[in-house]
Amino acid sequence: MNGSELRLTGLTRVHGTGSAPALADFSLEVPAGACMAILGPSGSGKSTVLRLTAGLDEPTAGSVHLDGADLAGVLPERRGMAMVFQRPLLFPHLSVRDNVAFADRVRGVPRRTARRRAEEFLGLVQLDGFGDRPARALSGGQEQRVALARALAAEPRVLLLDEPFSALDARLREEMHELLADLRMRLDPTILLVTHDHAEAGALADGVAVLDRGRLLQAGPMRELYARPASLAVSRLLGGRTEVAGMVRSGVHRSPLGALALPRKVPDGPAVLVVRHEAVQVTTAADPAADAVGTVVRARRRGMRTLVTVEVPGDGGTAAVDAELEPGQEVPTGRTVGLRLPVEGRWVVPVDGVAVEPVAGAPRA
Amino acid sequence: MPPNRLRPRTRAVLLVLPALVPVVAVVGAALASAALLSLGLAPLVGEPQLSLDAYRGAAGDLGTGIGLSLGIAAAATLVATVVGLCLALAATAAVRRSRLLGALAALTIPIPHLVGAAAIGLLLADAGFLSRLLGVDPSSWPPLVGGPLWVAVVAEYAWKESAFVALVVAGVLSSRAASYGETAALLGAGRWARLRHVTLPLAAPALGATAAVSFVYTLGSYEVAALLGRAHPEPLPVLAYRLFTSIDLAARPQAAAVALTTAGLALVVVLLSLRALRRLAAER
Repeated sequence: MNGSELRLTGLTRVHGTGSAPALADFSLEVPAGACMAILGPSGSGKSTVLRLTAGLDEPTAGSVHLDGADLAGVLPERRGMAMVFQRPLLFPHLSVRDNVAFADRVRGVPRRTARRRAEEFLGLVQLDGFGDRPARALSGGQEQRVALARALAAEPRVLLLDEPFSALDARLREEMHELLADLRMRLDPTILLVTHDHAEAGALADGVAVLDRGRLLQAGPMRELYARPASLAVSRLLGGRTEVAGMVRSGVHRSPLGALALPRKVPDGPAVLVVRHEAVQVTTAADPAADAVGTVVRARRRGMRTLVTVEVPGDGGTAAVDAELEPGQEVPTGRTVGLRLPVEGRWVVPVDGVAVEPVAGAPRA
Repeated sequence: MPPNRLRPRTRAVLLVLPALVPVVAVVGAALASAALLSLGLAPLVGEPQLSLDAYRGAAGDLGTGIGLSLGIAAAATLVATVVGLCLALAATAAVRRSRLLGALAALTIPIPHLVGAAAIGLLLADAGFLSRLLGVDPSSWPPLVGGPLWVAVVAEYAWKESAFVALVVAGVLSSRAASYGETAALLGAGRWARLRHVTLPLAAPALGATAAVSFVYTLGSYEVAALLGRAHPEPLPVLAYRLFTSIDLAARPQAAAVALTTAGLALVVVLLSLRALRRLAAER
């Protein structure tokens, strides 16, 4: 199975006259064999992108191209796309094997051949020997794996995943992520994944498009979006916690944290400094390399690591900086600590409400 | 075990009792007395004596009645199932969801059969609304009411029961058909393949159950056949009623025999359909 190149251009969907568009002028390119994630909160229009791509809904404007061919007016069953939804939706009247063999059967493949191929796909999702079971005699994780096998058995040109793992518990989700990575290596499908979890997008996708209230905020490789978000909204959707308002003058951001040199040239004016909590290092107050000194006001455990909030008093107010400690490192609340903010980890975004330059171009995936 | 802690089984039986007692009292007592009457054990006059005279006496009419009743019930159920399924599909179709169609079908349900029968009679009789509308002379109008094919009777039952079938099947389909249909479409199934491989199997249990209910109802229902049917031969309920209200008191045991036969037939149909439904459920 080899995926096709998918191109979405200017997709817009307005549900009723006068209402805000569910999706406005959304463009995205998914190269053949790539996995792109659409990340956004619920109601951001990300599922609408999938439904328009699959042909389950008609766009008000815009087009969907698959390997250069316009899909306008092409019925969902003729688009060569398979979708896995949040619910597995296995056909309750069929066995696990016949569920996976469904696409072949409606295509007219003889029953015996279809069932043999279904067994192969069940093997791919590590469910050998489950074929005879009724669809409802499976656990949630198994059901979702069958749904994935059923979609893959249809040999889609594009595989659409609509939050397929969000109903699973953390361990199963991890397993499914590994399985999907493994399937990508073996089958090389083109995947468009919708999720609200930036960690999932980061784990699975080559590139990500961030969507909010029907509008594309930014698109690009995950790493770039983490380090260089285009706006506060993107930073927040990707789990960014530290936001310090200040003023940029000749490449230096001035705020209660002090004067911090920025890694790239940015225009002068008011700007918000964002730093990933993973990039901030907590040292002693006496550390000469510390960029700021403050007091730990809050500490939260996150598995092996602890996330602390440090308040830094300075000119014109107090700034709060979140930092993730090294595994095993402990800092009690109330202690005065030094903070190192590596230059590469610093980034400024426009203050909310200030016009943002539109994000240009298709993402590099 | 403490006395206030009942075993689950006992508890379940106790909970069901309020519903079970009236059913057993009414249906059981009626059936038992009919059985006694039909077997000569509760004669109006004379000594009780076990005999099958009532069954023998009614045998001729009983034979044609069984055939006729089964035929009417089968024809009405078949039409009702097909029409009801089509209504349900139209009312729940993902593309052109029709609220109006669903409402019209549901409107049929509260209309009593007697009113329905009168309306069908006025519509289909040889001097009825339809023949006038089409400008057909009553003498050349086919005998739909009271004719040899029982068209008006079957039509009335099919019309009423199709609404019932549509209501139940649409209820089942509306909650599930759309999402399963979309999944199937994205796996490459066209309209017909979706209908055959997804929608019909999903609707099958509800369709089977409603078909069984409507069959059994039609089999035992009196008024429509009496109003729109012909005088002879008679379906089982009409036959039973005529014998029971006959001035010849000796016909009463025969009426009981016919009623008991009808009940037996209905019971067999219910048991068969329950078994079929259970098998359908086991497959999924």
